[in-house]
Amino acid sequence: MNLGTERGAVVEPNLKAEVPVVEASDVQAIVLRPRPKPYRGEYVILRIQDAAQGREMLRRLLPHVAPADEWWVATLPGWLGIAFTFEGLKALGVPQASLDSFPIEFREGMAARAEILHDWGANAPEHWEHPFGTPDIHVALAIYAKNEQDLQRVLELARRAHAELPQISVVYRMQFGELPEGRNPFGFKDGLHNPHVEGSGPAGPGSEASIKAGEFILGYPDENGETAQAPVPRELRHNGTFVAYRKFHMDVAAFRRYLRAQASSPEEEELIAAKMVGRWRSGAPLVLAPDRDEPKLGTDPIRNDAFSYADDMKGLKCPFSAHIRRVNPRDALKDEVVAVNLHHFLRRGTNYGPPLPEGVLEDDGAERGGVFLLIGAHLKRQFEFIQSQWVTDGNFISHGTEQDPLIGNNDGDGDFTIPQRPVRRRLHGLPRFVTVRGGAYCFIPGLRALRWLAALGSSSA
Amino acid sequence: MATQTATKPESNQTVEKKVQRLRELYAAGPEAGKTALENLIRDLKSAAEHEPASRMSSAGRIGSSQGTVSELLVIAPFAPGGAERLRALLELRNGDFSDTDKVGTVHDMRFVFLDNDTKLLFATAYDGAWDPYIDDFATKIPNEMDTFFTTFEGWPGIRSPEVKDWIVKHQIPAIGWYVAHPDLTVRDIRRLKRIGKAVDEFLDKING
Repeated sequence: MNLGTERGAVVEPNLKAEVPVVEASDVQAIVLRPRPKPYRGEYVILRIQDAAQGREMLRRLLPHVAPADEWWVATLPGWLGIAFTFEGLKALGVPQASLDSFPIEFREGMAARAEILHDWGANAPEHWEHPFGTPDIHVALAIYAKNEQDLQRVLELARRAHAELPQISVVYRMQFGELPEGRNPFGFKDGLHNPHVEGSGPAGPGSEASIKAGEFILGYPDENGETAQAPVPRELRHNGTFVAYRKFHMDVAAFRRYLRAQASSPEEEELIAAKMVGRWRSGAPLVLAPDRDEPKLGTDPIRNDAFSYADDMKGLKCPFSAHIRRVNPRDALKDEVVAVNLHHFLRRGTNYGPPLPEGVLEDDGAERGGVFLLIGAHLKRQFEFIQSQWVTDGNFISHGTEQDPLIGNNDGDGDFTIPQRPVRRRLHGLPRFVTVRGGAYCFIPGLRALRWLAALGSSSA
Repeated sequence: MATQTATKPESNQTVEKKVQRLRELYAAGPEAGKTALENLIRDLKSAAEHEPASRMSSAGRIGSSQGTVSELLVIAPFAPGGAERLRALLELRNGDFSDTDKVGTVHDMRFVFLDNDTKLLFATAYDGAWDPYIDDFATKIPNEMDTFFTTFEGWPGIRSPEVKDWIVKHQIPAIGWYVAHPDLTVRDIRRLKRIGKAVDEFLDKING
């Protein structure tokens, strides 16, 4: 018996020839397509207390769920995505064998994974907004439109879906919308990079190298050459995926105050801010514009994401610890024992709350921040890995316990290392700029799977 | 203040109970052990005021950790011919594990042949958790992993989805474990060595 050779034969990659085409008409738009620009939207969370009513709601919603192949049809008033927590699948009456076949992290839910995700201190689930962290979150609707009027039209469709179904209740709603110039509340241009899903159509601007579709959609080979066999049955799994929903409050005033305290000039403030993020506010990456912002580069969707860290392996342009270098290391870790392609997600970010007026250094008490949908077929080695190893730890870049300067779980005691010549600079006392307000793990079924869910119980009833 | 006085006597009581139980157990053992224990208790009491740098905690699914360092120990039967293969492999390596350096998180590894070469004890100390990195090992260093561990009976292969369960099934967590620097990872140590060398060079230059 020679296990070594046997296994070796199995793993030989022989998928070079055929690239499976992703069946975009069966994948929800929210998985594969960026949100419209500009955008207005709302997240609605529902609770199902009666499986039959839950399925009736689903039947009514089905015609309005946007598939990835025609989301951009100009006549659509907006589009709707739908996802279910483990509790939600239970509430719909999904058979036990199927429930049991879901990965452990999904069954446990995000709040139960707090230790693994380093969600402690102010980020701990006990501080989350209700109903996050409770079993009352069943169905999450994400509604995107180009303007308020269209948004209301889609919301009305959603309302009708559970009209006269008293066992369906709305437990949470939040509106979101684009801030001026497509910036995030901290003032940085956002939504700039996403991996390209192989076989899902041409790579748009702002996409990087193609990653195997199975990393993001169940039913296709992934970067390990494997096609997921769970959850069962295939009817439920195929063209589905998972999402980690994270709502972040952003303390913009604290960010500005920190920059002010560390810098001796407005130019230096901007440089430190850029070092933390890895890009200037315009979106221009430090690797391509190490000394000053280049707004033209920032607004060029082709060039602003066309870079690697090969010429910056000492981090002199973009610090090792910069936000974008951590969450998407590109080729920065190529000499390490880490397979970067196993740790991607598709990132759909939306902002909420009013912008903090320019120059204001004191918090106005307003809730503002971002909601991120971090989508991938393997929550554990994608979202959970990135959050625990790359965002809230520094060992992978030999930075001890240093965390992401922007979204790390610092508590006034964070460090941020900026490599420079002749000696590196280290900032101390970083506060928590971003606080988790809530989160959930959801399953985003394909469109046929939604019909399968809606039809549950109809034959056995 | 109030909370301190409320909790402290209770924890002292627990310690006293544990000491009492220890005395009873050692009383039934050899006399030398009993005397040694009394001396040790006297020494430890004066040192007990300090909170240690870290305490043992769980390293994920199984195993123990002290600070950032975790331990993993597996005992399992050799596959047929496995002992011979591993012995030959280790003889060829002759102590050279430089390929393990690139993993960057392994403090040590130990291979011990038990019971007439029928079982292997593998023990290692490493940083953080192994669980998140198994997929990376499978992609980046499958040969390094499988040449060692296919000598275990039933090793499913590093790329198998069952490999995590196999390790957990055969792992025996330590009850007691000492780590000199629970706050230092392998990468931290490398960094400190680099800094130390640079400081020495700097001081030499000043003197020179």
